[in-house]
Parts: sequence; C-alpha cells; structure tokens
Amino acid sequence: MVLISAAQDIRWQKWDDVFIVYQPSSAETHVFNETTALILKCLEHGPLSADQVKEQTEGALGVGPGELAKEDFAFATSRLEELGLIDCLEAASTVQ
Amino acid sequence: MIVGDLSRRELGERLAGDGLALQFGPFNLRVRSNLDSFAALAHQLYEPYPLPDSEAISDFHVQISAPRGLRRWVRRQACFGVDGHFPFAPYTVEHAFPALEWGINWCVATRSHHLLLLHSAGVERNGQAILFPASPGDGKSTLCTALVHSGWRLLSDEFGLVRPEDGMLLPLPRLIPLKNESIEVIRKFRPEAVIGPSFLETRKGTVAHVRPPADSIRRAQEPARPRWFVFPRWVAGAPLTFEPLPKSQAFLMVATNAFNYEVLDETAFRLVSDMVRSCDSYSLIYSDLDEAVNALDELSRAGDG
Repeated sequence: MVLISAAQDIRWQKWDDVFIVYQPSSAETHVFNETTALILKCLEHGPLSADQVKEQTEGALGVGPGELAKEDFAFATSRLEELGLIDCLEAASTVQ
Repeated sequence: MIVGDLSRRELGERLAGDGLALQFGPFNLRVRSNLDSFAALAHQLYEPYPLPDSEAISDFHVQISAPRGLRRWVRRQACFGVDGHFPFAPYTVEHAFPALEWGINWCVATRSHHLLLLHSAGVERNGQAILFPASPGDGKSTLCTALVHSGWRLLSDEFGLVRPEDGMLLPLPRLIPLKNESIEVIRKFRPEAVIGPSFLETRKGTVAHVRPPADSIRRAQEPARPRWFVFPRWVAGAPLTFEPLPKSQAFLMVATNAFNYEVLDETAFRLVSDMVRSCDSYSLIYSDLDEAVNALDELSRAGDG
C-alpha cells in the first residue's frame, strides 16, 4: 500500500503533546495525537509505502522498529484518509 | 450627548417615533417601542449611554412593541423585532425590557461576522484584559459584575469581540443580566451597584440588569489587548482553586465556545491560536466572590510586574 498526502496548505499548531491542525479544504480543525500528526508529516515530501511511513513514524516517535502497534497505525491512517488528508492506494494502482 | 440628556418625555417620543439611536461599543442601534413601561426603564438604565451622531448608520433596527390587531387587546404582550422581522414568540409585556436586551444580544451573535465572537465575559485593567469563556450557569456574569465594581473596566459580560485585523478586544459594555441567586449576591457584595427591577419567571428565571460603571461606558471605544483566559466555574461551598491550564486545552475550550468559529474558517483558527499563544490560561473554581476577585487582582499585579 502506498500513502499519499492529500493535505494542502494545512496549518499546524503544536501544544503540549497535542497537534491542532486546520484543514482549509474542509474548513475543519482537528486535534491529533503525536502518532497521527507524524504520519501526516512523513508524507509532506512525497508518497511512501505504508511500511516506510510506519518506520519513519517509529523513528520520529523514538521507539524501536515494530514497536508502534499495527492496529494503532492502521487506525490513524484510516482516520486521516476519512478526513481527506491522505489517500491510501494499492501499490498496483499507483503503477498504472 | 447621552441618553440622560433627554427628558423622559423626549425619550418616549423618540422610541414611539423614528426610534432612539443608541451606541453600544462598536454597534449603533435604533430602538423603537410603544410601551410606556419600557420607556421608563430605558430612561433609567440606559442613562449614561451615548447617542450616535445623527448621520450614523444603524447596524440594527430593533423594536419591542405591543402586537398589532386584536391580539393586543386579548392578551398584553410584547414582540421583539429586528429589521421588520419577529424571530421569537411574543413575551408577556412585563418582560419587555429583558426581551429587548436578549434580542440585541441575539442580533450581535448572529449578524456580526466581521468579528470573531467568543462567548465570554471580559474585563480590563492597565491595558491588559482577562477573558472568561464559560457556559451558562458557570458564574461568569456574577464574577464579571464583581470585578467591574472592584476597579476593573467592563468589556462585556457576554461577548469577547475580537477584531481580526489585530486581535484586539472591542468593548461592548452593555447592561449585565444577573439571574436568580446572583442578584442578591451582588446586592450584598456591592450595595452601591445600580441594579434595575427583578423580572420574575422569565424564560431564564428571575433576571435583573446591572448598569456598568460610567467609566466602562465612557471608554467603550477603547480596545484592549487580551492577556489571560480564565475559565470560571462557580461551585457552592468550594474552596478557591486557581490553576494553570495547558494551551491545547485552552484552545479547544475557546474554539468550541465561539459563536462563529465555523463561519470565519481559517481567520478564526488564526485568531484563537494567536490569542492562546500570547495569553496565559487558568481554570478558576470559586464560591466566594472576594476570594476570586483577590486572586484575579493578584494575577493582574503579577502581570504588571
């Protein structure tokens, strides 16, 4: 699976361990925990595979490889997709 | 010129004719009424409020009047109108004054989207303002009334009006409607406070209006810089608790509390973020007004230093 950022011109505000994000395309304000925010930040420089995003997020969180629970990662990415902030594409569809 | 410069008769004639033009902070209103009881109270409670220039454009044309036709003889009622529309069910005529006051607030809350509207009381001292965002029943009007009778300037007991251009707070020092037990609390706290009659069994219980100190009304065109957010909560018998609040929590409480956050989109996000970044935020639980006022005086002194 490949993850692509769909977030354009979003505004960030980090306070404490919480990220407050304004999404101009929906005019909504979101509150993200660190994991969700870091996934979104990983994708600022271009598409990455889901495995790469998970690895980079773990690195940014300062935890070892595999320590970020798959369920937590999947929940965060599905939430971001639901909000229209990322697109999750099957690898085959990105080749076409 | 202020309302007090008009005789009771002149005021009644204006209300019954083209309307009484009034200036409340950044808003000009034209008020019409054919109710004698309303005119008498308006003369008393609006006495220090300025009249705008004769050429000034009115932001709202409001009225509180007896209904037309047969209804006025069947049952004595008062209808609130704005720009010729009547958005609410009629009130009993005895509640005409609070009905107009609520109606004006409704106009501000629903028609002033050139400003960010926080649901918040606000006071100022030495150029620094405290905002008190709170839900109904949290005691913000009572606390605000106590503060403005203890050396603070009233900005508003209901609206934090934030000017998008520079984030400054615009004063709207209107009458403060106290409810139920708060009326007696303030009578005891400051016997010299000017409080109008109690209106019993209104849609919000017993209501009485406090007239802000003259200095607050005189300085209604003087904006203030927000310096603190204090989230008050009155709890019977509770000891004073005054604690710093994390900025992330303050942001959420301010944003969710605004009347028009969604309407202003990114401007609202920017304004609330800027304010929360530059202000210190606290939660305040209190039961004793003296203790609460002392704590906020101390906060202000520390901020000056």
